[in-house]
Amino acid sequence: MQNEETSAKRLNAEAVTTSSFFIRHSAFVLIALLALAVRLPQLGVRPMHTDEAINAYLTGQSLGGEKYHYDPQDRHGPALVELTLPIVRLEGATTFASLTEAQLRLVPVLVGSAMILLFGAGVELFGFIPCLVAALLFAFAPLPVYYSRYFIHETLFVAATFGLILSGARAWQRKTLLSAALAGLCAALMLACKETAGLHFFALGLAVAIGWRLRATGKIPPLTIWFATTISFLVAGILLFTWFGRDWSALADLFRAVPHLAARAGGEGHEKPFWYYLKLLAGGWSGGAILALTLLGISRATGSFVRISLLTYAVLMGVIYCAIPYKTPWLALNLWLPLTLLAGFASEWIWFATTKVSRRAAILIFCGVLGLLLAHDTHKYVFQIPADERNPYAYAHTTEGLLDLPVRLEELARQNHIPNPRIAVIAADAWPLPWYLRHFSQVGFWQPNQETGDADFFITTTDISDPLQERLKNYRSEFFGARPNVLLLLWSPPKPNSPP
Amino acid sequence: MKKIICYSVSLILLSTVAALAQDKVPLKTDLPKALFTGTPVPITIPHEPALEKWPEFSVPAGTVNLAKAKKVTSSESDPVVGTLDLVTDGDKEGDEGSWVQLGRGKQWVQIDLEKDANIYAVVVWHYHSQARVYRDVVVQVSDDPTFAKDVTTIYDNSDSGKDHAYVETRFGKLMDAKGVKGRYVRLYSNGNTTDKMNHYIEVEVFGKPAA
Repeated sequence: MQNEETSAKRLNAEAVTTSSFFIRHSAFVLIALLALAVRLPQLGVRPMHTDEAINAYLTGQSLGGEKYHYDPQDRHGPALVELTLPIVRLEGATTFASLTEAQLRLVPVLVGSAMILLFGAGVELFGFIPCLVAALLFAFAPLPVYYSRYFIHETLFVAATFGLILSGARAWQRKTLLSAALAGLCAALMLACKETAGLHFFALGLAVAIGWRLRATGKIPPLTIWFATTISFLVAGILLFTWFGRDWSALADLFRAVPHLAARAGGEGHEKPFWYYLKLLAGGWSGGAILALTLLGISRATGSFVRISLLTYAVLMGVIYCAIPYKTPWLALNLWLPLTLLAGFASEWIWFATTKVSRRAAILIFCGVLGLLLAHDTHKYVFQIPADERNPYAYAHTTEGLLDLPVRLEELARQNHIPNPRIAVIAADAWPLPWYLRHFSQVGFWQPNQETGDADFFITTTDISDPLQERLKNYRSEFFGARPNVLLLLWSPPKPNSPP
Repeated sequence: MKKIICYSVSLILLSTVAALAQDKVPLKTDLPKALFTGTPVPITIPHEPALEKWPEFSVPAGTVNLAKAKKVTSSESDPVVGTLDLVTDGDKEGDEGSWVQLGRGKQWVQIDLEKDANIYAVVVWHYHSQARVYRDVVVQVSDDPTFAKDVTTIYDNSDSGKDHAYVETRFGKLMDAKGVKGRYVRLYSNGNTTDKMNHYIEVEVFGKPAA
């Protein structure tokens, strides 16, 4: 009889556990689907940022059958292109010219939406409410939504970072080889996204060491776990960087990236004050409230090894990113991950601080108001003014006006009866023009001091040399905006029978 | 006798020249602070180099800004951002809140000077917090508020015009109106190099009430 009761209780407990497991994961699947729905509309509307155009060009080269070579000079790792190629092939793209903005941006959209599911996997580590709040903030806040629709490495990098944190923690706690190998894979993916992964490895390592020192529980994983992680990291890293064994010189280039990165950290024109990220994260109608929750969460993040490690990681990354003069808004996404979890800790504490229905109703009303503020900010920055200079996420962004350039070129070519125009671009920095001129088959790019060949149309910056001025004196010029404060000129042959 | 005649003629000529010289004064206006940050973009194209200082331009003595606080109408009665009174409120700063934004494509604003005037110059600031070029800028003067008749075009850099496109700066764009007589001033534009919107920070119409 007693055995039957025990068995019934066990079955009941399993049913409850199964049920809560199902509900929990259903909640995160639902949020991920909603995140996908928020990210998909108008994917092709925003002009291509220079960095997106460079990644698109690299993808296009590989799509066209050219051998990919890792270039440590300002190009980041190959992971984004490697992930994008099969997806754009499935979408029907065959050449650089056939690629579209929406096809390419679908990759970070999928990664950013799928990343929400990782929060479901993080419940055992951080708790249900913290993960739910973090998932909601990743799904709907303007910063992650904006850069989940941006064809750069950042979203993939942050997803890999979270994967490393989850699998690393699981390997540490449960000592399973599979988790250890997964941690190595995620670390390799991070490095193959961006070389700055080294900073995160340092911060994560130090955070775990500090967390262990302050709140040690259990034992340090055995050598087999460390070995599995290392082997997995090396194998995956080598495969990713060498394009699956086809370009071994990439490994040597990876080491050459270090001095370049050190120089880049100095600013190279992207210097910002140390409070830049704070201002960015606190911006909009919702930023202040989220940051306040985050600050409150700091006080709730000292109770366990996992939480104190996360807090230390957040502080270290904040200090490192704020101290480095080189700053761009998408780098704030790296801070967003620990900050949202800290905001989740605060939310959990507030929720369980009371059991009164009226107070919990007030908390839910506050959540509703915060949701409305988030919706306002996301709608404004992602859909209303995605490339506007007033948008803090649109950094040195390609202007909407540049979209008229290829249209005007086609129109002028028709007017001048030139079926296949020869276009000479003369500019020290021509990006993102290779993207916008990809449909023209005869396009050449020259530096300002180089002699160009014959061309039907010229595209120059506004600081053209005297010989070029002389050469173009009879041409008609039209201005086009490339980025804020960067204008381009389209020079076309004079109209027939018109005075010079 | 000849000497007296020569001295007299010379004196009359000198007096006339002096009187004419006194009648013309340099046009001055308050300029907004520079908003460009970072390294200025060099613009060395031959047609219309970006202004680096307020241009020298003379107007008859007594010329004033007749547009100040005058009523502004537009092709878009409900602007996207800001209000039409910003066009003549005297604030030329480039920050948000100082400009009105009209919708996409070809749009116009029109200033009613309330009475006929001889107009010597129109100065327009579209937007000067970044290097931009506004497309198809046309400025016309008329006695007719609908601009259906008696229209004089004082500036035109559209396809059919003779003027060149120019880069916006804090010095605005000074257009020579050559003393044309009229009560209404209408300014057209057709988007800009950054987006398809049309912006106006300030328009000044320098002239004297018609006799």
